[in-house]
Amino acid sequence: MRTEGLTRRFGGLCALDNVDLSLSEGEIVGLIGPNGAGKTTLINLLSGALAPSQGKIVYQGKDITRLKLHDVNLLGIARTFQIVRVFKKLTVMENVITGLVDRRRHGPWDLVIRSLKHSSAAEDKEVREGAQSLLDFVGIGKYRDELAENLPYAYTKRLEIARALATGPRLLLLDEPSSGLNPRELDDQIDIIRKINGNGTTVFIIEHVMKVIMGISHRLIVLHYGKKIAEGDAKDVYEDPQVVEAYLGEERNAGS
Amino acid sequence: MSASASRLKAVLGIVVLIAVPWIIRDRYFLHLLITAGIFVILTSSWNLLAGFAGLLNLGHAAFYGAGAYASALLAIRLGLTPWIGLICGGLVAGVFGFLLGIPSLRLSGPYLAITTIGFAEILRMVAMNWVSLTRGSLGLYGIPPLTAIRLGPGMRIDFYSERNVYYILLLLLFATIFCFRRLTRSEFGLTLKAMREDEIAAESIGADSNRYKLTVFTISAFFAGVAGAFFAHYQRLVSPETIGLGETFTILTMTVLGGLGTLTGPILGAVLLTFLSEGLRFLEDMVKIDVRMVIYGLLLIVTMLFMRNGVMGLLTRVTDSVLSRKKG
Amino acid sequence: MESLLLQQILNGTVVGSVYSLVAIGLTMIFGVMKISNFAQGDYSMAGAYVAVLVFAFLPGWLGWIGSLLAAAALIGLLGVFTEKFVFRPLLDRSTDIDIIMVSIGLFILLENLALLFFHATPRMIPDPFGGATIRLGFASTSVMRLVCLIFSFAAIALLELFLNRTKTGVAIRATSENRHAALLMGIDVNRIYGITFGMGTAMAGIGGVFYGTLFAVYPMMGVMPTLKAFIVTILGGMGNLRGAIFGGLILGVAETLGGTYISMEYKNAVGFVIIILVLLIRPSGLFGRRESL
Repeated sequence: MRTEGLTRRFGGLCALDNVDLSLSEGEIVGLIGPNGAGKTTLINLLSGALAPSQGKIVYQGKDITRLKLHDVNLLGIARTFQIVRVFKKLTVMENVITGLVDRRRHGPWDLVIRSLKHSSAAEDKEVREGAQSLLDFVGIGKYRDELAENLPYAYTKRLEIARALATGPRLLLLDEPSSGLNPRELDDQIDIIRKINGNGTTVFIIEHVMKVIMGISHRLIVLHYGKKIAEGDAKDVYEDPQVVEAYLGEERNAGS
Repeated sequence: MSASASRLKAVLGIVVLIAVPWIIRDRYFLHLLITAGIFVILTSSWNLLAGFAGLLNLGHAAFYGAGAYASALLAIRLGLTPWIGLICGGLVAGVFGFLLGIPSLRLSGPYLAITTIGFAEILRMVAMNWVSLTRGSLGLYGIPPLTAIRLGPGMRIDFYSERNVYYILLLLLFATIFCFRRLTRSEFGLTLKAMREDEIAAESIGADSNRYKLTVFTISAFFAGVAGAFFAHYQRLVSPETIGLGETFTILTMTVLGGLGTLTGPILGAVLLTFLSEGLRFLEDMVKIDVRMVIYGLLLIVTMLFMRNGVMGLLTRVTDSVLSRKKG
Repeated sequence: MESLLLQQILNGTVVGSVYSLVAIGLTMIFGVMKISNFAQGDYSMAGAYVAVLVFAFLPGWLGWIGSLLAAAALIGLLGVFTEKFVFRPLLDRSTDIDIIMVSIGLFILLENLALLFFHATPRMIPDPFGGATIRLGFASTSVMRLVCLIFSFAAIALLELFLNRTKTGVAIRATSENRHAALLMGIDVNRIYGITFGMGTAMAGIGGVFYGTLFAVYPMMGVMPTLKAFIVTILGGMGNLRGAIFGGLILGVAETLGGTYISMEYKNAVGFVIIILVLLIRPSGLFGRRESL
């Protein structure tokens, strides 16, 4: 994936200013920056939740700048949200099944007609097995019949990841996967991300806690006031004077 | 409950339903059952929108009325057989459903509710004022009943009597409930529920919520339209009142009372309230005061306050606690 | 020289001011408590019936003032009561649908209680000015209508004063901006809810007296004021008081002009057509805030 001159303005405020970045297949790339740097805006642009004011987004050779959330997902890009958005009144398993539905092949009317032919989606053995394996992959397999709203916070974050994975993405965008997690849950989360990448999925993580992202990213990009101010190896970025200044030393002290 | 036990229950239920007109011959009772049956289709279709997809549609009566008027007019003006009229009524209503789905793409909550009311009101005003087409507030009367079926020499099934109409309605109900059951349990139904819970999250997993909303509106409207057409050929009279807000509120009360978002809730609600209102009518005749609608209002308030999931919700909680007590 | 256009604009303004009144109540309730009160028009209907009862004992000017005060007080109390027992228990539920449903239930209940007690025959609120009319330059109107207009604006002005100058009023505005912050500041949020709802319904009640004088009083009269109030709040933006004032006037004038120049029968459709168009272009109303991700 590649962006060129990506810019997004909100009224008078420029949340993102001329950002160029690229992601290669199989990488784990981390995006960091102090609060308000424009990270969530960037992920919203990449996933199609927002349209840019200027600039382009190219994915696998295709210009996807104007595509919306659902179309972007159909192309193989999935995301999670900073504030977890699971389907509260659905069970854990049902949450994943919604992701498993093959929407590339079946639009709503197709699904309607299919529903009249088959008895029930949630009872289909294959579907349930697929969902179960995803749940096991993120480690919440035994909660499959719980309502999502009853799950502890850390597990809902994993559920969101499982659901995103269910759509079969080649690129996964994670928005602050560590927020709200205690150190032990953090380690588990990092493991999960490693596993996902191990399966060949490219991962793009937004974080503002350095510790998490430094350990697993192949590469880091630093955003400050909407501009890209540094890019490269974790070590290089850590020492970059601009980055240090941006964080005013505070984050770094908190992270180490 | 094992699969074979519930199948037995279903078969038993069907047998009872079929046998009813032979056991209870009272025409008025059959009329009540037919009315309840029509409401079942209306509540179930409304539930698809409000309970499963989370779309608050307060203009449902418009679909019902559109189907009724369409089929009636086709029968009266063009001599179209009501059997086809039923489908046509559904299709016309489906078109209206699609149209009403369009605002739902950008609006939610009270904004959508008002727009849907507006839509229904405009339709009602058209029905009242386009006198050359609809005869205004007089309404259309003399609508032909379902065309008689000829089975052979001297064997005719006509549809002037409640009993035969009841059987056709039963067939219609089976078909409708079958469709809704499949729809709600399918991936489509699951997607609707997901959209209801969190539209943005649903979009993020590939569901184009716009298309889903339009689809569910069209389907819901189609069934309501068929119900409306059926009503037209049964009652043989339609008037702009059919498109009134009161009808929608009745449907709403029934669904909520029975249990929003479940399959059996609307069925239960429709049957309960139809018979309850009859019971109240007796009471009214005795004490000479019109309490029926007052009770509807109270029921709605009480249900929302104390029985959020309606009677079905109550029953499920009761059976769950009974079952868990047995286990533990 | 008489001008039909100006005459109708004046008439529209009178009607519009009443719309604004009821709508301000609705928008206040929404702004502070996020409640879409589908029963708002029924509080108007109740106010109208209060007026009918008052006029049975006090004729003329006294009846007029008495009705307004009684309507404001009694309907306000009714509002506080319904807020406490019907709406407040539902406030912590996250879905809109629950609250809208319960307010619909309230709507059905109030409407039919009125039917029960007062029967369907329409009543009239007598004109305390005996049908006197007045010339205002290019148009003329009944004194009655002019008084409605003036009193509507007076009520709105009083409300604005209250919200901006009194401690409770400021507390109300604070709660509507940020409930948690208000709680932290020591504001008794529940009391504020009661007062807001009571004031919102009181406005509806006063509006009902005007509705009753301009039109007629009958149990089903609550539907139109509710729908019109919603149309106005959507036009003006839910929670936006200034918007409600302008929205009401725009609706009133548009309807009257539409009724005069286009078609009388579809007069009530004008409002719906307007908002359908407005909402399609701007889903949060003309003056409302735009939703972001």
